[in-house]
Amino acid sequence: MTANEVVERIRKNIGIPWNEKSYRDTFKVGDPNTEVKGIATTFMATLDLIQRARAAGLNFVITHEPTFWSDRDTVSELANDPIYKFKVDYCARNKMVVWRYHDHIHSRPPDLIWVGLVRSLGWQDRQTSGSRNRFTFPETTLGALAADIQRRMNVRALRVVGDPSAKVSSAAVGMGYNIPRATPDVDVVIGGENPEAGGPFDDTEYILDAAYFGRNKGQIVLGHAISEEPGMEDCANWLRTFVTEVQIQFIRAGEPFWSPKA
Amino acid sequence: MLFALTPPASRSYHWCVMELSRRRFAQVAGTALAGGRLAGQQTPITAQQVIDRVGNAGSPDGIKAGDAGATVTGIAVTAMATMDVLARAAREKANLLITLEPVFFGAGDAPLAGDPVCAAKREFIRHNGMVIWRFSDYWRARKPDPFAAGLARTLAWTPYRTGDDPFRYEVPELTIGALSDVLLKRLNARAGIRVVGDPRTQVRRITLLPGSTPLSAMLKALPECDVVIAGETREWESVEYAQDTVASGQKKGLIMVGRVLSEEPGMNLCAEWLKTLVPEVPVRWIPAGDAYWRPAV
Repeated sequence: MTANEVVERIRKNIGIPWNEKSYRDTFKVGDPNTEVKGIATTFMATLDLIQRARAAGLNFVITHEPTFWSDRDTVSELANDPIYKFKVDYCARNKMVVWRYHDHIHSRPPDLIWVGLVRSLGWQDRQTSGSRNRFTFPETTLGALAADIQRRMNVRALRVVGDPSAKVSSAAVGMGYNIPRATPDVDVVIGGENPEAGGPFDDTEYILDAAYFGRNKGQIVLGHAISEEPGMEDCANWLRTFVTEVQIQFIRAGEPFWSPKA
Repeated sequence: MLFALTPPASRSYHWCVMELSRRRFAQVAGTALAGGRLAGQQTPITAQQVIDRVGNAGSPDGIKAGDAGATVTGIAVTAMATMDVLARAAREKANLLITLEPVFFGAGDAPLAGDPVCAAKREFIRHNGMVIWRFSDYWRARKPDPFAAGLARTLAWTPYRTGDDPFRYEVPELTIGALSDVLLKRLNARAGIRVVGDPRTQVRRITLLPGSTPLSAMLKALPECDVVIAGETREWESVEYAQDTVASGQKKGLIMVGRVLSEEPGMNLCAEWLKTLVPEVPVRWIPAGDAYWRPAV
């Protein structure tokens, strides 16, 4: 079975029309006609991840995020970059193939990245009926909520904004480069990654100011990988339902950061 | 520390304004010295007069709240005009607040209709007769880069600068772990610092990328140094590049200290510069601090 045949089968089983204009969900490295020995699903095709996939005997990496450090995997400016050369050479030498699976895993119902995030938060039963990204839970403090999430999701570099003693009972959740906009009707906003300031809406400043006025508000920044990696395990499980010829493993790219202890 | 006042080419108009302003400042300062001190009072100066003296780069710079004609009692300078910063400024009788980042929660800086937090912030500003002036593009365009120079000074690295490049330093060798602790302490950080790389890696050549920087800056910086200290970069761009650099066997790393923490020393330099330009009123730097904390494990 070739990598291209795996992708063809994904297209056949996804249940939605394929968007041929997606520049994301395409091959990034290697020959699509390479015979697949095994598949690794992951959050991001870092060099370290590709090396570990190869060591596990998996030569086809299905990644959610880019390989060459930009959304479009633009390589035209990278020809003389030493790390680009190293990564490309490593993949060529080891006949590794990388394909990105981003847009369609989000747009198929259900969005498996979302499924993975809600599962790893442990919030499957906390979803409100009104809106997919809204959750309610028994009143707790922002500090206790953050500690629970830190433990459940095993985050090293979690970042929290707001008063740890603030009483909270509702949250709006985003994944990846998205933290929902803080509004008066929700206590906590949670997501992967956002600009700290100067973005379309600055949650960080808003939460700080809301806390100043004694409002029970918080922001929990999980990290992009922490928020989206769990769904790539769901992706592996889903692939196994229609790709049975080769082994399929979910391999964590992992949280990129550590954080010094204050 | 004084700066060579090299104007950005596209802003020659403002450069002229600034030069004129500096000459006018000499006259004003002279007058104040001659009469003001003996009489125990300074010549009043309005917010608009301060702004005219500095020069105004246009959008996004500009007054975001308050009356341009208000008499200035004191100036506070910050990277992010949070309520905490505004309250400290008000306590210290500084009613002109100069901020690098937005005051009303976003790049557009438009007040949010019907939002209680925004309404309370606006009311605080009105009640205390404050004027909020966003001062971003102009200060960012200044040469040498005041954010890099300010960050280096806060870290006591100015003597280690590579030539006259304010972004590059060669410091006595230390580990990435020790370097992270230095940053934690000198920047008064809490949980805002995040590190890619082995804490035991020895580093010496450091490049500073304060603020929010694109991949292109990282592609240029990291191959030529041991560790980049950035404000914020994106996880699927510069962070992955740093991860791959480490995985390729290079003894390197990336430390992100947070956008605001990385920019704050540059606003301290801004406050010092304003002291020379507006001697009529006290000018102080009020850092917003590290917004982030993390639960104890």
